[in-house]
Amino acid sequence: MYDAIVVGARCAGASTALLLARRGHRVLVVDRSSFPSDVISTHFLWPHGMSYLNRWGLLEQVLAVTPAHTTVEVVNDGISLTGSVPIELLREYFRDLHGDDSGVVQSCASVRRRVLDEILVGAAAKAGAEVRTSFTVRELIVEDGQVVGIRGRTVDGELVEERARIVVGADGRNSFVARTLALPKYDERPRCTFAYWSYWSGFDLGPAQLHRRGRLACAVVPTNFDQNMVLVWGPSEWSREFRHDVPGNYQKALDFVSPELGEVVRTRGTREERIYGTLDQSAFLRPLHGPGWVLVGDAESAKDQCTAIGMTHAFRDAELVSAALDRWLRGDTSIDEAMTVYGDRRRSQNAAAYHDYVCTLAEMRPYRHDELQLFVALRGNQQETDRFIATHADVAPVSEFFQASNLFLLNDAAKESSADHAVFEDFAETSRSYQQNLFA
Amino acid sequence: MTTELDQREDGELIGIILDAAHRGDFETMARTASEVSEMTRNWATHIPWDDLASLEGADDELARVVADLTEMWEPAHLRNPVDPDEEYALDKNAYDFYRPAGRNLLTRTEDFYGWVQARRRTETWQYSRVLEAAPDSVAQITNDLGRRARGINFNSQDYLSFNTHPAIREAAAKAMHDYGPHSAGSPMVLGNTRISDDLEAALGDLVGLDHVTLFPTGWAAGFGAVVGLVRQSDHILIDRLAHSCLQQGARAATRNVVRYEHLNVEAVRRHLAEIRATDTRNGILVVTDGLFSVDADWPDLVTLQRVCREHDATLLVDVAHDLGSMGPGGTGVLGMQNLLGSVDIVMGAFSKTFCSNGGFVASNSPALKQYVKMFGGSHFFSNALSPVQTAVVREATRIIRSDEGDALRARLFTAIHALRDELTGRGLTCMGEPSPIVPLLIGNEKLARTANRLLFDRGVLAFMVEFPVTPTGSSRFRLQVQAGHRPEEAREAARIIEGAIADSRAYLSSAFGSAPR
Ligand SMILES: Cc1cc2nc3c(=O)[nH]c(=O)nc-3n(C[C@H](O)[C@H](O)[C@H](O)COP(=O)(O)OP(=O)(O)OC[C@H]3O[C@@H](n4cnc5c(N)ncnc54)[C@H](O)[C@@H]3O)c2cc1C
Ligand SMILES: Cc1ncc(COP(=O)(O)O)c(C=O)c1O
Repeated sequence: MYDAIVVGARCAGASTALLLARRGHRVLVVDRSSFPSDVISTHFLWPHGMSYLNRWGLLEQVLAVTPAHTTVEVVNDGISLTGSVPIELLREYFRDLHGDDSGVVQSCASVRRRVLDEILVGAAAKAGAEVRTSFTVRELIVEDGQVVGIRGRTVDGELVEERARIVVGADGRNSFVARTLALPKYDERPRCTFAYWSYWSGFDLGPAQLHRRGRLACAVVPTNFDQNMVLVWGPSEWSREFRHDVPGNYQKALDFVSPELGEVVRTRGTREERIYGTLDQSAFLRPLHGPGWVLVGDAESAKDQCTAIGMTHAFRDAELVSAALDRWLRGDTSIDEAMTVYGDRRRSQNAAAYHDYVCTLAEMRPYRHDELQLFVALRGNQQETDRFIATHADVAPVSEFFQASNLFLLNDAAKESSADHAVFEDFAETSRSYQQNLFA
Repeated sequence: MTTELDQREDGELIGIILDAAHRGDFETMARTASEVSEMTRNWATHIPWDDLASLEGADDELARVVADLTEMWEPAHLRNPVDPDEEYALDKNAYDFYRPAGRNLLTRTEDFYGWVQARRRTETWQYSRVLEAAPDSVAQITNDLGRRARGINFNSQDYLSFNTHPAIREAAAKAMHDYGPHSAGSPMVLGNTRISDDLEAALGDLVGLDHVTLFPTGWAAGFGAVVGLVRQSDHILIDRLAHSCLQQGARAATRNVVRYEHLNVEAVRRHLAEIRATDTRNGILVVTDGLFSVDADWPDLVTLQRVCREHDATLLVDVAHDLGSMGPGGTGVLGMQNLLGSVDIVMGAFSKTFCSNGGFVASNSPALKQYVKMFGGSHFFSNALSPVQTAVVREATRIIRSDEGDALRARLFTAIHALRDELTGRGLTCMGEPSPIVPLLIGNEKLARTANRLLFDRGVLAFMVEFPVTPTGSSRFRLQVQAGHRPEEAREAARIIEGAIADSRAYLSSAFGSAPR
């Protein structure tokens, strides 16, 4: 009998197991994968994601093999903004959500999952959690409507049964736990992006760059093994046409969004792996908990990759749920109360506003005139640029930045105007042309 | 790495698997699946990648796998068609249209109008509702599709129910009889009557300040006071949530505007020290509301006024919502904090409690009065309040200060407590402190808009505030209570509101609650 069984051993699961084990609880964590191994993701960590790793004592291990930077460059229709997430906002984030702001760092990095998840699984084992990999959960044991354990198959095909006071579903978007319990989906937003990416050697462009033009976007981010993760994305409505020629359209999208990056990749880059892709990213929430079970990470809330936040959210869930479960397992509170605390945090106003923010962005409509003018107004205003980046990354609440009096003031303080940026020249015509599927 | 490089892309492989499944070619399915990347296998864990061959004969299982693979393969919006009007109406907010494109000012408003029309068609546009009768504790209204509704009215601001008070109506009738409906001039150009002077004196008495100036609206008073006093090189510190007339006044007056965190007096102290460290020559105006109209809270004005004096800054407090409706003898937040007569500048509006258009600015300085009259453009260059309006406000001020005023406030607060208790008891979140404004937190705009649509037909009239009045993602119902509301009415309304919120949450299939963080 364990205190907790965690199904899934990556960002959400291994972290939850690690934190529970460190607090002295008996934890079993299982995953059908073996490690090291990859999972679909373009694996960018914003500073709060890195801060979680630091709080858990794992950041050094990651930084030993991964390039990191404190700034990112965001270029929208040629309007470039460079900034970093302010340390004070990071502190506030951790205080608000977790009650303490220790271990905050300002850097971000792109960490291959075969690197990161291996470190997490290793740390969970070291903390005393029992880790079983290549172990597939096949059934949930339910008694009197209460989940009390799992049945699964080990590497050698043996069927085993394990029991625990709580089963944590950390098993991703296609969660086995959720499917088995026939959980509904809430707040679905079907419009999302298609994303295609690969790994390139041969150039080093420094900090992460995110570019957007019309309905398409690309990112170039330095990652492990002296490679760059080069990603293009666009509206899923265009995915069929994109798929007709994936390598050709991948390059075409790069050339369209940023001719400079397209050129670098074409002339200096060597592609090291196949091109990966997915368009299965529509957003939804699931119920968070029920008798004998609780969900974390993508299993409870899946959303589009366009703000690169899922892993950091999985870390956040791990801290929230392990704190809640710890209080219950120690007998300080009832399971209902513990879960209510977790639920309030995860289904808050701020969370709803960010969910909407990501989903709306994922529709990849061409930027409107007023949005582009906001980016112009931000140029030269470093403090507000940084706050905008923090908002985009879900460090600062959407409601604090997108507030009328703030936006009016930004406007008034603008140092540049639309005259300084080419996209405004024939804006109506340009936005019309953006509606056309580049791959048709 | 070349082998990895030459492997086919997963989408292509999934396409082949689906085609093979269609033909019943299990061998190809299994062979192709073995080429699918580790990335995708570890992610699409619901697909039995290693066991596709075993699906032969298991028709149900095969159908499920084909459905799951198709789901990964086809854009999700094709599976979930939505009403485009409804999607457009609910997913946008007004700010999305704040900076339209194009040089033609007439045509570039079209985009916004398209959105307004979508919201009208989906009955989520509340801004064109009209009254069919007096806005009593119950009211009858028509929306812009011509549909009527009658309901318990929390949509009007008449905190002491003066609109139906006989003495108020009589005062209006008498002024109408004596002076006619028109003031026929700016207050500086013979627009005032003897009633105006009386009223200025009565208001001065109420707030404990000697020098009062009337303005045609509360908005004009706030805007006029700020632009009348502050010049380009001066500074303004303004609470982030202060009323629009003050925010816009601040923007019009100077570029040196700091919006400090709501109610945070420590932040004000810090900003003042920063400003004074480099600028000892210019003025600083600190601006706040008394009772905040969308959060129902108020600042510690005692400390705020002290901090201002310590830094040679001037404090302006907008008491539009609290004056008359709360505090000892109707003296509002100032009276509650024992500050009558000791705040630098007080402004207010008559539109909430005093049963009329209009506003005022008050201070202890006759010089400031004359200066604001001359340089606050909305006083000099706007027609004076009408005699009927000044007479109504004068009578309202008299009642507010009488025993009857105390009784009315007592009734008002009985209704306020009934409403708040019932809402809170039903698990909903009322923000702020008991006051005539009861902000009921919703959060998500879509949820608020659809709940508001339901309420229209269920017998409660409520106003939903969303961006730009509130920050994005923190919309709410602003329920405005009247002395005429019976406690049972308030409780009944709370029940109906709870039902509408629950139903719209189900309609949107939303799991979000309204806890702030
Ligand atoms: C294209 C794309 C790009 C992305 N880019 C980023 C990014 O840049 N930054 C970012 O932060 N996020 C990104 N994300 C999101 C991020 O990858 C996910 O949010 C994150 O992986 C979720 O972690 P998790 O631990 O919840 O689930 P997963 O990482 O999916 O892990 C779930 C684990 O559960 C295991 N499992 C499932 N079923 C069973 C079972 N029955 N028995 C045993 N084990 C089981 C699986 O094997 C798997 O290892 C991206 C997502 C996509 C689709
Ligand atoms: C705090 C505050 N100040 C000023 C005003 C403006 O008052 P009026 O409606 O009289 O123009 C209002 C009302 O909207 C208000 O709420």
